[in-house]
Amino acid sequence: MREVLAVVYREYLIRRTSPLWLFFDMAVPLLYLLMFGVAFDKALGAGLSLEGESIQYNQFFLAGVLSMTCFGSAINQSYGFFIDRDNGIFYEFLTYPMTRSQFLMGKILFQCLMSVVQCALTLVLAVAVLDIAIQWEYLPLIVAGVVMGTAGWFFFLAIFAFLIRRNDTFNTAINVAYFVLIFLSTTFYPIDQAPAWLRLSSFLNPLTWHTDTLRFLTVGIGAGGTVLFEAVCFGAFLLVSFWLAVRTLQRAV
Amino acid sequence: MTKRQNAIEVDNLVKVYQTKNRGPLRAVDGISFSVRQGEIFGLLGPNGAGKSTTIKILTTLVLPTSGSARILGHDVVTQPLEVRRQICVVVQENAIELYLSVRNNFRTFGKFHGLSTREVELRCDRVSELFGLREHLGEKGSDLSGGLKRRVQVAKMFLIHKPIVFLDEATTGMDTFNKRATVAAIKEESRKGRTVILTTHMLDEAEELCASLAIVNHGKVIAGGSTDQVKSLGLKLLYLTLSFDKVPERTLKAIQRANPVKIEVRGATVEVTVREEDVALKILNTAKRLGSLKQFEITSASLEDAFVEMIDKKAGAP
Repeated sequence: MREVLAVVYREYLIRRTSPLWLFFDMAVPLLYLLMFGVAFDKALGAGLSLEGESIQYNQFFLAGVLSMTCFGSAINQSYGFFIDRDNGIFYEFLTYPMTRSQFLMGKILFQCLMSVVQCALTLVLAVAVLDIAIQWEYLPLIVAGVVMGTAGWFFFLAIFAFLIRRNDTFNTAINVAYFVLIFLSTTFYPIDQAPAWLRLSSFLNPLTWHTDTLRFLTVGIGAGGTVLFEAVCFGAFLLVSFWLAVRTLQRAV
Repeated sequence: MTKRQNAIEVDNLVKVYQTKNRGPLRAVDGISFSVRQGEIFGLLGPNGAGKSTTIKILTTLVLPTSGSARILGHDVVTQPLEVRRQICVVVQENAIELYLSVRNNFRTFGKFHGLSTREVELRCDRVSELFGLREHLGEKGSDLSGGLKRRVQVAKMFLIHKPIVFLDEATTGMDTFNKRATVAAIKEESRKGRTVILTTHMLDEAEELCASLAIVNHGKVIAGGSTDQVKSLGLKLLYLTLSFDKVPERTLKAIQRANPVKIEVRGATVEVTVREEDVALKILNTAKRLGSLKQFEITSASLEDAFVEMIDKKAGAP
């Protein structure tokens, strides 16, 4: 545990050096919800019809903001590998008395703390400003969902950060992947009325699994059985990504 | 010396990299050596010889293709964590936290190696004094010059007490004063029983520090042993410097008849390179007998001479 906490301490010291970065980290999900969410909510007027029920767009979009927050947080942390590699410190880290998995766990523990704070602020804003009803009784599960989402995407992206040596290539790949994953998922819109190919793609997309789980936990939208299946799939995605990330890190030099 | 007292044992180590254009590259090709506890050991060789890859294998950064390496009895492949608990490493790359101050660089390094905050602060003062970093403790890594960054990187190794220290080109970029301080600190740590493995391009530094060494080229050890042994493995060259008021023509002709390796006249001084002691003495006697010799000096080959000789010989140079 000491090794994991040492990584967390290092990440904390680095993040503390840039208050502006910290501010924007916290502000982006709030801005997304306030600007994009509110605008679409007004544009759609009567709201969305889901499984025969009418719901406000803000209510639907909240889980999308939370899952995007986890994804963005994971991108930030995985991009840090390139900075560490450019500084040379990455290679020194790998000679420190800790396992590769402890190194990754320390990185993700810090980033999960950041994601939880970001998501907590988003939920408070959703309740206080947008009057969205949150299922507070599921709060521990919501926190677990945020942690799993951040970790899953971080381990997944870390595999590519170790395999791709150029940060510009990584940036491009991540931008394309982000775009595709988000629009082939239930982040921005319900997928029920979409063409079959889009529904199939969305069904196979871990971002859909994560978003649907958070949506069910926060505002109660979705069928319990399907969401449970999606949550299990995302758990498997997390474990496989972790295993692959550790293996790739062994050969990252 | 028994095997148990060896801090490092490397046996027939091989590392093959798959390259896109040139096929498999044998960066390390059957290297074997051992290092005794408390010894300063030098791994020397030209660029691309396989030194850094060997260090990367020993420090668990890279897996070998075959062969074995043990650090204080722990296998680098099957017990990497145990190995990492015994070592500290100055990697070849400049490794510093650019966003953190020098003090926080020390703090994070100390935390990773299990030091309490109090211990870090105490040792930080001592180490920053030793490496002349006291006035830079508050500066960010990104604001330091290249030499200072390297100094911070090396200083971190003296913050903790790991039995084995790897220094890959540790003094690169340092000025003379800091190089001296680093060399002195390395010697002091060795006296305390720490084993130091260093790679360097500066052969005078290796000659001053290393009790034993291995010269590596094309992934193979081409010479190894104590520093004196390695020096003597090169062609046994002797350098004679003969000073005259004015170099007499007949003395010069007599020296040429002795068939030296090289002869150079610089004003009133003749520099002669020979392979054997007998030839050196013969030339010296001739110079004395023929008169007007003011001063003479005989020196043996340096490690650098031996190094150049061996690398050239292996490369097929005349």
